[in-house]
Amino acid sequence: MSVLELDQVSRAFGGIQAVDGVSLTVAPGEIVGIIGPNGSGKSTLFNLITGVYRPDTGRVLFQSLDITGWRPYRIARLGVGRTFQIPTLFQHLTAYENLLAAAVEGDWRHAPRRAEEVLRLLTLDHVRDERADNLSGGQQKLLELGRVLMRSPSLILLDEVTAGVHPRLREVILDAVRELRDAGTTFLVIEHDMELVRTICDRIVVMDFGQVVATGTFDEIAADPHVMEAYLGRGV
Amino acid sequence: MSAAIPRITLAVLGLAVLASLPYLLDPYWLRIATGILMWAGLACAWNIIGGYGGYISFGHSAFFGIGAYAAGILMGARYGLPFGVALLVGMVAASIVAALIGWPTLRLRGAYFAIATWAFAEMLLQLATILEITGGTAGLTLPPLLDERFFFYAMLVAAVVTYGASYVLLERSRFGYRLKAVRDSEVAAESLGINTTLVKIQAFVLSAAIPAVFGGIYAYWITFINPTSVLGADITDQMVVMVLLGGLGHFWGPAIGAVSMYLVNRLIWTQWANTTAYIAILGAVIAVVVLFLPDGLVSLWPGTRRLRLVRALARQVGRQAPRTGAAEEKP
Ligand SMILES: Nc1ncnc2c1ncn2[C@@H]1O[C@H](COP(=O)(O)OP(=O)(O)OP(=O)(O)O)[C@@H](O)[C@H]1O
Ligand SMILES: [Mg+2]
Repeated sequence: MSVLELDQVSRAFGGIQAVDGVSLTVAPGEIVGIIGPNGSGKSTLFNLITGVYRPDTGRVLFQSLDITGWRPYRIARLGVGRTFQIPTLFQHLTAYENLLAAAVEGDWRHAPRRAEEVLRLLTLDHVRDERADNLSGGQQKLLELGRVLMRSPSLILLDEVTAGVHPRLREVILDAVRELRDAGTTFLVIEHDMELVRTICDRIVVMDFGQVVATGTFDEIAADPHVMEAYLGRGV
Repeated sequence: MSAAIPRITLAVLGLAVLASLPYLLDPYWLRIATGILMWAGLACAWNIIGGYGGYISFGHSAFFGIGAYAAGILMGARYGLPFGVALLVGMVAASIVAALIGWPTLRLRGAYFAIATWAFAEMLLQLATILEITGGTAGLTLPPLLDERFFFYAMLVAAVVTYGASYVLLERSRFGYRLKAVRDSEVAAESLGINTTLVKIQAFVLSAAIPAVFGGIYAYWITFINPTSVLGADITDQMVVMVLLGGLGHFWGPAIGAVSMYLVNRLIWTQWANTTAYIAILGAVIAVVVLFLPDGLVSLWPGTRRLRLVRALARQVGRQAPRTGAAEEKP
């Protein structure tokens, strides 16, 4: 059974066809990378999967359940976790409180202990009591990931989670991702860093102008002319 | 844990002092203390939706008025129901009304909610002046109870329950985290499984039920109510300004704001016997708070966390941006 299935999903904003007939099936435990030029519809795809936007046409299935048009909180409760490209933290709360807030619909009793663990794992313990909007850009990215780790989603969507994060902390993030994957978690990862995509993704989906133009392993897509065109032809 | 014991001791001490006030104050100051308790409770209630929820209600006078009229109508000659029943009915009525207003408007961003609550309160004010059951502009008279101590204790119990419940719900439970998460980012809150619409409606209902109780006690205390005295927009204005002055979104902000504003109000009244100057002072306080003291008087206390909510809210009410999310485009 697939974890996630997209069937001809489309969404336009005004005259812009942000996502154009995307179909995609993701198997349990897979790490799928989504790459493509700026504005190719990657983040919009995440917003369609998580219910932030409703598809104009097409269907979204999570574990064979049709979740098209569901409100985001209901989709989240099914076991979908995500980070945002632009961090959307609870700015008036501390780092620690942000993590607690992530557990209000889950295991609240163990949330304080779990929050301390997550802070330590992401090396954020020294800013535990700092307000979220006082954190650096990289720290905010980490805290976003931390919120996802507070829950136990079976599907995690990461939108450029390593952008602006120090290389050593990238390793921390990658270790966390691998560990969760080994425990059975499925990932969809938007990344611009090709080296990272190469090391971590089982399969890669290339988007351009809202469409999937190629899919395959890193070596396969690296040899694909569409990808060359999308990345090199117009310059990234 | 170590801080918990002195905090409880402090609370018990504070309560003991408050409870003995009727035996320490002369009748004039006892009435002022009763008024402060009422406004501290009202401001605390407004702070739930305004400070913790981030949605500005400009219609809270409606809930105060609903409670007052529930007491005026039910305790009057026609029905003659007991005080407690009138309070309960007022509270339930205000809760239902809040749910009905909140259901459509709390899905939208703050500006719509602010306008809708204001319009509703205006409508209720006009309605009370023409309806027969509310006594029109002439108002209603309640059976007099000339016992100042009774009303002081009634307000004290209501205020203590209000602050106690707020403390538990907003500072010590999941509900508080849900609400603050919604205030800071609805998209992020939803992505974590929080039903943002439900949380906002719950907060608004709670925030509306409390003023109804105070309205009921107030009506019985004053024994005479009319539309402007319990449904006037100045009641909302005072709640808002007290919270801003004390500290928006801070637990003790409303209490500090209520004490200082109410004392200033009384002082002006005894000095010049008019309230025009008071309205000018309200305006000045808002300006000073927004410009120089965004976290209100409570932030003068060392170590207070800077929330800086005032500016965020001012921006939000000024802007008409609909929320991003599926709710706005639900099937
Ligand atoms: N809420 C919106 N309103 C209007 N247009 C939007 C909205 N969201 C996305 N778009 C448009 O849809 C297109 C795809 O945007 P999207 O953010 O999905 O791209 P992306 O692949 O994530 O790009 P990047 O790599 O820069 O993050 C863009 O042209 C963008 O301007
Ligand atoms: Mg993007």
